[in-house]
Amino acid sequence: MNFTFLCNTPPPKNGRKVAIIGAGPSGLAAAGYLACMGYKVEVYDKLPKAGGLMIFGIPGHRIPDVNIDEAVKKLQNDYGVEFRLCTKICGSEPMHEEAGDQFVLTYKSLGGRVEDNDAVLISTGTWKSRRLNLPGADLPGVYSGLEFLFPVRAAGYNISGVKAPDIKGKKIAVIGAGFTAVDVAHLALAQGAEKVYLVYRRTRNEAPCGTLEVSMLEKSGAICHELASPVRITGEDRVQGIELARCRLAQADDTGRCRPLVCDGELFNLEVDIVVGAIGEIAAPPFAHDLGLENVRKGQVRWLQMTNIDSVFVAGDALTGPSRVGSAVYSGLKAAQSLDQWLTLKAENRLNEYKGELIKNTDLP
Amino acid sequence: MKTLYLDYSKCIGCGTCEAVCKFIYRTPRIIMTRTSYGLHVPLYCQHCDNPKCMRVCIRKAIFQDDQGVVRLREEVCRTCDSKNCLMACPYVAMMCTGGDNPVTKCDMCVTRAGLGPACAAMCPCDALHYVDRTEMASLETEASQKAYERVRKYIICPDCSAPAL
Repeated sequence: MNFTFLCNTPPPKNGRKVAIIGAGPSGLAAAGYLACMGYKVEVYDKLPKAGGLMIFGIPGHRIPDVNIDEAVKKLQNDYGVEFRLCTKICGSEPMHEEAGDQFVLTYKSLGGRVEDNDAVLISTGTWKSRRLNLPGADLPGVYSGLEFLFPVRAAGYNISGVKAPDIKGKKIAVIGAGFTAVDVAHLALAQGAEKVYLVYRRTRNEAPCGTLEVSMLEKSGAICHELASPVRITGEDRVQGIELARCRLAQADDTGRCRPLVCDGELFNLEVDIVVGAIGEIAAPPFAHDLGLENVRKGQVRWLQMTNIDSVFVAGDALTGPSRVGSAVYSGLKAAQSLDQWLTLKAENRLNEYKGELIKNTDLP
Repeated sequence: MKTLYLDYSKCIGCGTCEAVCKFIYRTPRIIMTRTSYGLHVPLYCQHCDNPKCMRVCIRKAIFQDDQGVVRLREEVCRTCDSKNCLMACPYVAMMCTGGDNPVTKCDMCVTRAGLGPACAAMCPCDALHYVDRTEMASLETEASQKAYERVRKYIICPDCSAPAL
């Protein structure tokens, strides 16, 4: 991976400074673009390593760490991009707790970044998982996909203060059949779980991860329960089991949805110690209100991907909600380009000439 | 002669190749697809030795340059109403733009002044390589060959039962 794919050698500095908040695919792609344009770039991240979910979410057998590490080193050594890690940027809104906060050593304000730089790009991603909405979902032993994956990856970097869930010898039920669910199941097996169940309400043919991934998971030793939906999680002071209901794919109805799902079948129990709900992430942008992100998404702003605050731009999952690495990269590049155009025109006092003209529907996420 | 080499066993379908191509050229020239079985298959030009798109092009808009890159003369292409190339390409690598230049295709970023293909540069999985044709064999592994076979079988007969692991 080479974030500076738009230039061969570092260009002369243009005298402008940009702060990027979040060192995931979106922030790093933007850093690469801006470095190639001669900007002095500072990248902030709350985690102890740059790369975001490419390092701490997606497992190493899908994206090898070394590919990201080398790309980050190139930004740092050849292009002078500065990384401020273990640093969280806060706005005026109260902070909510999220995975990864345990690494933070320094808190800095968004206002300070805006004052110290010509522009700021927010690319903080999606850190909030959708919770299982079930009786018993608040018992110890119930995790979201990210809560489960993240500490295990982090513990691998010998970072103190991170407590990875104890997996060895445990029985684990994973709810969902997306890539996060598959990754959780593989990780649990690799860490010596006694039994790993993958529970999905539809069949493998509908699984978002595809039948190939399901077959590979079974080959590694997981047990797949298709057409089963969790009803409640049982246990006194910790998870002891999960009750599931059989589902069936009903015939197509008039609403046009091809296979409605009905979960009214017999109930059955699985004896488990851990339940992981890998049912998706939701966008949790910091300072969403301050920035007026809804308008940015719709393009109802003065400048592409610029927020309510002049010179503050936004990109990636923080703007669009959970997506793929590719979409995050594209969004980061677009924001960086827009930011550069905005600063250039501002310097020439020409912003008014372009008012509202630069946002095309094809540019929106 | 350099070309793109894809290791299907490493591709995770993240779409970074398509994203950077779209960023540079507006209409991406490499498109990520996924089979219902779950294989990730980016569609892109293989820069064939004997390109079918070139043979069927009635305007002679498609040509091979001295480096073996199969390229498109857009101003000539614009006057063509047959679009035979779209159907002829066995790799589904001729892309409709919906714009004034009706068709576009990969030119391995020859216009990017020696920077090479952006897709290969940005692939986070090390799946897409820009290499000399003579080096391609050395990049192959048992896993890559198996994955290639799976993709090939699927493309030949998508309705056949899922290929074995």
